[in-house]
Amino acid sequence: MAGEKFRCHPSIIVENSFNAFFSIVILLIFLGAWTDNTAVLGVLALSPVALLLFYYRQWKRTTIQFNETDVVIKRDTLFQMKKTLPYTKMASVNMNRDIANRVFGTAKVLININSGASATTPEAVLTFKQDVAERLRSEMSQRLYDHAISQDEEETIESLATFTPLDVIIHGIFSVPTYQTILGSMFLAYSVFELYLSMVTEAELGAGAMISLLMFVGLQIMPSVSLIFRYYHYKVYRRGDTVYLQHGLIRTYRTSFSVSRVNAVRVKSTLAARLLGRSCIEAEVVGLASEDDESSSPVLCLLKDDATQQRVLRELVPEFVYERDPHKQPEGAKRVLQIRAGLASLVLAAVMCIPSLYVSREAAALSGISGIPDAVVQSVLPVGTALVILAIFYAAHVTYRVVEFDAGEDLFTFVNGAVDRETVVMNYDKVQMVWIAEGPVARIFGVARGSVYMLSSIGSSRIMSGYFPESYFNRINEIVMDRITSGRYDYRLNSI
Amino acid sequence: MPIPSPFQGHPTVDEREPVHETSAGGEGYRRLNRKCMVSMYIGHAISYAILLAGYLLLKTFSQEFLGQYYDLVQYAALAVLAVVLVYIVAAPPVYYARYRYQITEDKVDVRCGVLVIRHILVPIERVHQVEVSRGPINTLLGLADVTITTAGGDATIEYLEIEEAEKVADHLNNLIGRMLQDRITTTPAPDAGPADE
Repeated sequence: MAGEKFRCHPSIIVENSFNAFFSIVILLIFLGAWTDNTAVLGVLALSPVALLLFYYRQWKRTTIQFNETDVVIKRDTLFQMKKTLPYTKMASVNMNRDIANRVFGTAKVLININSGASATTPEAVLTFKQDVAERLRSEMSQRLYDHAISQDEEETIESLATFTPLDVIIHGIFSVPTYQTILGSMFLAYSVFELYLSMVTEAELGAGAMISLLMFVGLQIMPSVSLIFRYYHYKVYRRGDTVYLQHGLIRTYRTSFSVSRVNAVRVKSTLAARLLGRSCIEAEVVGLASEDDESSSPVLCLLKDDATQQRVLRELVPEFVYERDPHKQPEGAKRVLQIRAGLASLVLAAVMCIPSLYVSREAAALSGISGIPDAVVQSVLPVGTALVILAIFYAAHVTYRVVEFDAGEDLFTFVNGAVDRETVVMNYDKVQMVWIAEGPVARIFGVARGSVYMLSSIGSSRIMSGYFPESYFNRINEIVMDRITSGRYDYRLNSI
Repeated sequence: MPIPSPFQGHPTVDEREPVHETSAGGEGYRRLNRKCMVSMYIGHAISYAILLAGYLLLKTFSQEFLGQYYDLVQYAALAVLAVVLVYIVAAPPVYYARYRYQITEDKVDVRCGVLVIRHILVPIERVHQVEVSRGPINTLLGLADVTITTAGGDATIEYLEIEEAEKVADHLNNLIGRMLQDRITTTPAPDAGPADE
């Protein structure tokens, strides 16, 4: 590989031209209202040729050189560019294949640098013929992780746990946050209610029902389908200090990263997943950006039964497993949570007054409905508000019961969440900053909340704790400082 | 009289103010210059003027749109304006009284807040960038903010006198530079092994 010079696969000329043409079409649609149609058609006819020529020139004058110590991307066009990516600064080298890649028999090699500023976009996205991409990734993996991995190995190596299509579907449906599911269900209920009204009053179905249905699809159906497509054929394994992930139905992802890049590990379960006795594992890893602007952290284990999830955790990232001795929130936290719940309930009740009166009055005025349906429609908002207030107090009670804090020797843990629960295990050496906040009520009861700032796969992230005495959070800082001053912190492994 | 250093063990502040503040959680904490209150009052006054303009627009143009709820919304808006007014009058002295910061050889420690009191701790080891910035109001008053950027987020020491802000930034940069220099002298040359960092 040393010194080899490459050009990307010429298919990127077509791919880039198509993407740019699509943007031009949208622009012309907007411009069409103000300009002459002939001009619009002229631009439309000429732009594909112009774009193809432009991207051909760019492709021709862009080279990628794989050196002993770095990768140099050079572009000699009007906007010249020379980008040097040292292997020592690379966080990961991943491979994705989308539909265009399948059509052209290519693959995209994504190079990520350990950078906070550009954590959400890869430093380089290079398209090559699939076999070339496989070879380059394998050779770069050798330099990054001290061992290469061939495609055959990747195909045959066994996953740490078996993920059947049913597991993937369950993950897709039940890992969507509960609040999102509730909101989606409310939109669905509203569109059903509108449908009922239109049937009773024999009026036409309003646009509101359609918008509501679209919101339901957008909030609940699309995320689930997207997750199912994304995590189909899911496979996870570890070799040496490197974790490998493979998944994807239409677009395929091959991701690998060193365990030293993992800043925190999160065991998550939504309410529905908990009822099924399942949970999933996510990691906060720096330098894993994908070109499709992924906002999620890499999933290390899909929703599986708790025993499997614990086994995967121990075998995949034992660095984040330790004997925990958790602290529950003190009595003062209970009072703070109750007062907060009370205030939230008051605000909610005040906000819901006007809509409740409005719905009640409108329902009374509707001539088509009477009797029980009328009573149901009139009372739906007040009863709904009362139920939400009960839920708020219940959530406060559960939060008090569930939230934990635990400071171990090398790791510490926050357990959060009344409805969707998460256990975040963090490494002291990855803590960037600690904020301790005491609100006016919390001060009265001698508790505070801590926020730990660290670098995540999408830039910086803040992980908040429950209410504990301030000394608990000061302890985190003391341990961080102690590790730095005593030399236990190794910046070479944690230089972020 | 020589200007004392703004760092732990040699605190300086506004000469009218106590230098050491042991009540805020340890020795060596420093306070802000009183001028910070003026800056906050001016900033708050501008924000309040914008809020007031919004209220006047609402009052003038929303009667038809709000119908029978017009009066209710008016009262609610007036209540919000009153609460905000009380806050912006009371907040600067409380903010000034509570604000403490300390820079030691290994960490930056800031305590601040009006309703919610924050205690921010940034290990020097994690500092990536230090920036001194000031807006037009602070420029008039000779104040500046020092923003300390880490990989995980920012922390700001606000309303420092410009000279002091520069000193703080220089000091932090020196500490970071010294730390990096120590690494260069103590770290063996990298071999051709695994490229971890």
